[in-house]
Amino acid sequence: MSHTEPLGNFKSEDAPHYDDVLQCMRCGFCLPTCPTYALTGRERSSPRGRVALARAVAEKKLEFTPAIKEEAFFCLDCRACTSACPSGVRAGEVMEVCRSQAHAFYPLGKMGKAFREFILQKMVPSPDLLETSMLPTRLYQRLGIQWLVRHLKVLKLGPEWMEKAEGMLPRLEKPLRPQLPLLTPARGEKRGKVGFFLGCVMTLMYPNVSRNTVRVLSHQGFEVVTPRETKCCGAPHLSEGDRETARQLALFNLDLFLAQDVDYIVTDCAGCGAALKEYEELLEERAEHDRLARFRSKIRDVSEFLMEVGLRTEGLQEITASVTYHEPCHLCHAQGISAQPRRIIRQIPGVELREMAEASWCCGSAATWGLKYAEDSRKVLDRKLENVKASGAEILVTANPGCQLQLAWGVREASLPQDVLHLMELLGRALPPD
Amino acid sequence: MISSTAIAHLKEKLGDANVLHEKEDLLTLGYDSTPGVHHLPEVVVYPTSSEQVVAAMEIAEREGLPLTPRGSGTGLSGGSVPVKGGMVLCLTRMNRILEIDEENLTATAEAGVITLDLFNAVAAKGLFYPPDPGSQKISTLGGNVAENAGGLRGLKYGVTRDYVMALKGVLADRSLIATGGKSVKDVAGYGFKDLLVGSEGTLGIITEITVKLIPPPQDKRTILAYFDDVRTAGEAVSRIIAAKIIPSTMEIMDRAVINCVEDYVKIGLPRQMAALLLIEVDGHPAPVAEEAAGVRKILEEVKAAEIHVARDAEHAAGLAAARRTALSALARVSPTTLLEDATVPRSRLAETFGEIERLREKYQLKVGTFGHAGDGNLHPTVLCDERDHDEMARAHAFYNELYEQVLAWGGTVSGEHGIGLAKKEYLARQIGPGGVQVMKRIKQTFDPQGLLNPGKIFDEGDPCTKAHVEEGFRVSH
Repeated sequence: MSHTEPLGNFKSEDAPHYDDVLQCMRCGFCLPTCPTYALTGRERSSPRGRVALARAVAEKKLEFTPAIKEEAFFCLDCRACTSACPSGVRAGEVMEVCRSQAHAFYPLGKMGKAFREFILQKMVPSPDLLETSMLPTRLYQRLGIQWLVRHLKVLKLGPEWMEKAEGMLPRLEKPLRPQLPLLTPARGEKRGKVGFFLGCVMTLMYPNVSRNTVRVLSHQGFEVVTPRETKCCGAPHLSEGDRETARQLALFNLDLFLAQDVDYIVTDCAGCGAALKEYEELLEERAEHDRLARFRSKIRDVSEFLMEVGLRTEGLQEITASVTYHEPCHLCHAQGISAQPRRIIRQIPGVELREMAEASWCCGSAATWGLKYAEDSRKVLDRKLENVKASGAEILVTANPGCQLQLAWGVREASLPQDVLHLMELLGRALPPD
Repeated sequence: MISSTAIAHLKEKLGDANVLHEKEDLLTLGYDSTPGVHHLPEVVVYPTSSEQVVAAMEIAEREGLPLTPRGSGTGLSGGSVPVKGGMVLCLTRMNRILEIDEENLTATAEAGVITLDLFNAVAAKGLFYPPDPGSQKISTLGGNVAENAGGLRGLKYGVTRDYVMALKGVLADRSLIATGGKSVKDVAGYGFKDLLVGSEGTLGIITEITVKLIPPPQDKRTILAYFDDVRTAGEAVSRIIAAKIIPSTMEIMDRAVINCVEDYVKIGLPRQMAALLLIEVDGHPAPVAEEAAGVRKILEEVKAAEIHVARDAEHAAGLAAARRTALSALARVSPTTLLEDATVPRSRLAETFGEIERLREKYQLKVGTFGHAGDGNLHPTVLCDERDHDEMARAHAFYNELYEQVLAWGGTVSGEHGIGLAKKEYLARQIGPGGVQVMKRIKQTFDPQGLLNPGKIFDEGDPCTKAHVEEGFRVSH
């Protein structure tokens, strides 16, 4: 989607392709799938409307106004519209590109720029820095300050997003990255060798999930290589409109994983999976085509992978529980993976899958969207929680850390009884003890 | 330009959130699904009650603003495009289902209710609302009534008009009107309600609708047939009708459409086939079985290449959903999908396919055809690029000649999309100058100032309101 020719009123670098916006024939199939349109009922907050705005900029009928910037960031980038669009318009990606345009048109002030650059260009790309930065938070939890803060509600005084961010944090353990062995041997009859792409949020917030993913892969007969140098996939940068840093990270991960002798590259984070699969387009003009194609052909979400190679179910222990499944947007809409997680759930002995209504409706997390638009996020989440509640299931399963943070918080806030687990945690429970 | 006092007044009457006038909002409420037409309004209002509609109308009148009503903007004839600017009145926030009357078998809803939501709400009570435009997930009931929308079940169950029992609305003189009622039989005076159905927002603003409901069919069979030749498919349709079998649905897609739809839905439609027919028979179980057998026999007689029966209800629903995406899926091929709404007596169906084929060759165009074959309503769609003026001119000539033939066969220029902007010149050809004059006089009676949705249905001589095909698809602002 990158473009080097100036297109209408867009800046020349990273402008949308004109064909991508012209393709929208405005049928409106996207309207009922868009959470932000459902929130505002305003056409410009719908995929069709947003593409029309981009088209107006491309056709010089409109400047890149602050309202367009606002819409670009108000879009959740959930890609539900992409799934729904018969014409193949990718409104979410057009908006992703508009986010980087927004930064070109409306640069931040000095302080803001320095802060943004520090976070996106220094901290997130460096696993060490990222892990160190979590240290104070872990201390804060260990020393019991968290309990105090939550109970005395001192954060009520601060901005709403800060209170929510604090409330969302799970109890943090040590980051997983330094703990995972570089090579985890296969158990039983060996079926192959896979690279494991460990995501940032997974290592920091949900080490238990990825620990289980590696266990599952190993129990399924795969040798697992976990390169310690792995850097952030770049999704947060794309989401914040920093396409350049995203490209640098992508190039790094591309080199790193192509150098491994692995049949597949597996991830348990839907957001990472979607980003890795889109390296091909992101790096279109920056890397050789066949390397990108080779990399792309190896990327699998763990559920997609397990269903492709076939899940070995012998030895799985029974879990007597009813489970409902929330589809992460970046799994079902961005990667088209919808049946596989359900098939895994059904294959776990004893588990009953209870479908919730609107399983693929966004939970309202969407990277930092849920913090920036805390009130709107709450409304999107409430719709989800109603459906979770109506399912009557004991366990709520998902497959993306962002969703898991949001859902676990929502369930806690609403005093719902469900345990919120990643699919690999659920499957991990069925594995025989190590 | 609308005055700032008028904006302030609108905000006072309708609330700040229901009055939009920023350029970005105006830009995104100046189109519908019709290609090539886009005009900016000066203000957009979202009334939440009939009283607010009256208030908006009063201000429009005072300011001399043309007023264009709209719903979700799924229209395909430009009916809700504000060609003369002014005020767009968007009814999507009037979206309450007010009553489902199980004793009288009626439902009453505000104009902005999404058609599928109404369908689901009545289905939950064991009732059936048959009209089902292809855009039922998105379109509003008010829009369906204003355009007299058809749909996939039109063949057996008819169109929106056949289900409207009562309407409430606001006329141009700001009077609130109510016409029709829950009585099944009602012959009191002129068919005023029927005049409003299909009036495309030119006679009044419909705010509340009461529709007739029926018991749902007890049984249903879905049959899918593929053909090596599109004309054979047309012949199959004519023979099924001639055999006095009325399926609820008989939809056709040609090869171009099959391929685009398959690109999107990936359900294994055979790409090499020239056409497919999706046939659904419904009703009581015994006749359904008999009719399904009859359909099958005819399909075998005309030598359909393959005949399949849907495995289960889910499979059948999937096929119908796939068909609903046909038009939008065609946009994969080219940026501009120019769709028409030609409808012929059903005995002419096979010939119509022949004619489309001949004209496609003659004008060297890419054409995909799909539609409601059972009611003779086809949507030949030219796949083109609005930036290519020569191609657009050929597309215009294609439709011109096609409509000439359709009219000669006793067909109509619109089966279900309405006239709007796109088909004004064709309508004049169909009904003649006398017919247009009568319509203009009716319009004059309802809306002497010409405030409501001006520029639609018939031409008033203003170049910007001419049929868009004649305009060579310039997007004007």
